[in-house]
Amino acid sequence: MLSYTFDWSVITSGQYHDWLVSGLKVTLQLSLAGIILSFLLGLIVAVMRMSHLKLFRWSACVFLEFTRNTPLLVQIFFWYFGSYKLLPTAVNEWLNNTGFEFAAGLIALTIYTSAFIAEDIRSGVLSIPKEQMEAAQSSGFSYLRSMQYIILPQAVRITIPPLVNQFLNLAKNSSLAMTIGVMELTYQARQVESYTFKGFEAFTAATLVYLAISVVITFLVDQYNDRVLKIHKGA
Amino acid sequence: MKKLVALFMMTAAVTVAAKSFAAPPADTLAEVKKKGVLVAGVKDSLPPFGYIDEKTRTIIGYDIDFVNAIAKKLGVKVELKPVTSASRMPQLQEGNIDMIAATMTKNPERAKQIDFSHTYFFTGQKFITKKGSVTALKDLEGKRIGTAKGSTSEQNVKKALPTATVLSFDDYPQAFLALQQGKVQAVTTDEAILAGILAKSPNKAQFEIPNVQLSDEPYGLGMRKGDKNFVDFVNKTILEMEKSGEAKKIFEKWFGATTDFHLQRNFKITADK
Repeated sequence: MLSYTFDWSVITSGQYHDWLVSGLKVTLQLSLAGIILSFLLGLIVAVMRMSHLKLFRWSACVFLEFTRNTPLLVQIFFWYFGSYKLLPTAVNEWLNNTGFEFAAGLIALTIYTSAFIAEDIRSGVLSIPKEQMEAAQSSGFSYLRSMQYIILPQAVRITIPPLVNQFLNLAKNSSLAMTIGVMELTYQARQVESYTFKGFEAFTAATLVYLAISVVITFLVDQYNDRVLKIHKGA
Repeated sequence: MKKLVALFMMTAAVTVAAKSFAAPPADTLAEVKKKGVLVAGVKDSLPPFGYIDEKTRTIIGYDIDFVNAIAKKLGVKVELKPVTSASRMPQLQEGNIDMIAATMTKNPERAKQIDFSHTYFFTGQKFITKKGSVTALKDLEGKRIGTAKGSTSEQNVKKALPTATVLSFDDYPQAFLALQQGKVQAVTTDEAILAGILAKSPNKAQFEIPNVQLSDEPYGLGMRKGDKNFVDFVNKTILEMEKSGEAKKIFEKWFGATTDFHLQRNFKITADK
């Protein structure tokens, strides 16, 4: 039954090893850029969503519902193939020559994740007693400044555990970018499999790497909690 | 009822046994002439090589026209038996069919089991590109080329064009969409698939399949190993068909400008070395 013999040499050195490493680099780039951008976009959308201006509130609502309720894969295809019709020819040509796959994947991941992040941040803000906002504004802060200095710093702390979830999701979702030809880790693992028929080795390695990335993200956020925000567990 | 089933099973068993014990004829040429019928294994769902005509409900196609021509030369009738890629060689070896005319690529492994005629159809892995952009393989160096994940086409193109960026999509329609949007400069796979994609494309006038080939796929008619008389006869016949222009006519009928495929005939039937 178990006639499969593992041959780890395929992935520990040589060409296939290099493929996996280059895939890892792309996955890290995608994840890191995605985490930073989606957090920033999520913050902006969250603030808009809670704004007093109807226009902001409504446009944020439309954005949230649209991005949260459509599959990421469809969004990736939308940005890669669908954007073609919307952009002028010169822009398309420039994009095609500069490797639009990565950018399209990053845009889709960022926008998709930012919607979830925005909702997490909003729930954090809502958990701050509304008297704080009133107090801040009566002390002369504008709405934006009250958010910036009083509300958000507290809200983000509360939001950190669900935010870690979103970051982890983003890192793993980045594997979907392979459908438009972004040569990230899963793409390369599959590539190694189709060349060597050593799929078990390649995907085991990929799995361990994803696990490692997730553990590192969790660890870093924990450190940030401990050192910077001085939130101590059980305290 | 039970008895009827038993009787049927027994009959079937005897028939199967009889068939498997009957040795295939050593000299198919003489045997076919005696029987008055040539039994050929063909594909029945692979246009335009062999498929069922909607109106007449009979199998027609490029392969079938070759079978017909050979039977005509022999002065016998034709009987077509649908085969699959997996079943065709056993069918031939067991004597159920006299020859294979089913898009069969000649390769050394197969040639150990059966004998092949000269190449009667020649295809291979090609590219589909914007019209006029590619005339030789070197035009694609350093370019972006789309294909489907895990395919042999993907591996072939990486070997042949190491400087090119190969973008692998989930399937060929996506790769072709990327070509239409200029995201890749070419899509590569077997010519038959490319021709099918191109035939269905709404703006096919902008694209073409240039005569640039990555791997060779020569198709041969399959006959039993060591059946020399028959092999010689078939080879002689198809060489004559080439000479008389009949072979070219058959190609044009199924693949030429009047069809959806618009293929150019880049081969001639010649004696194998």
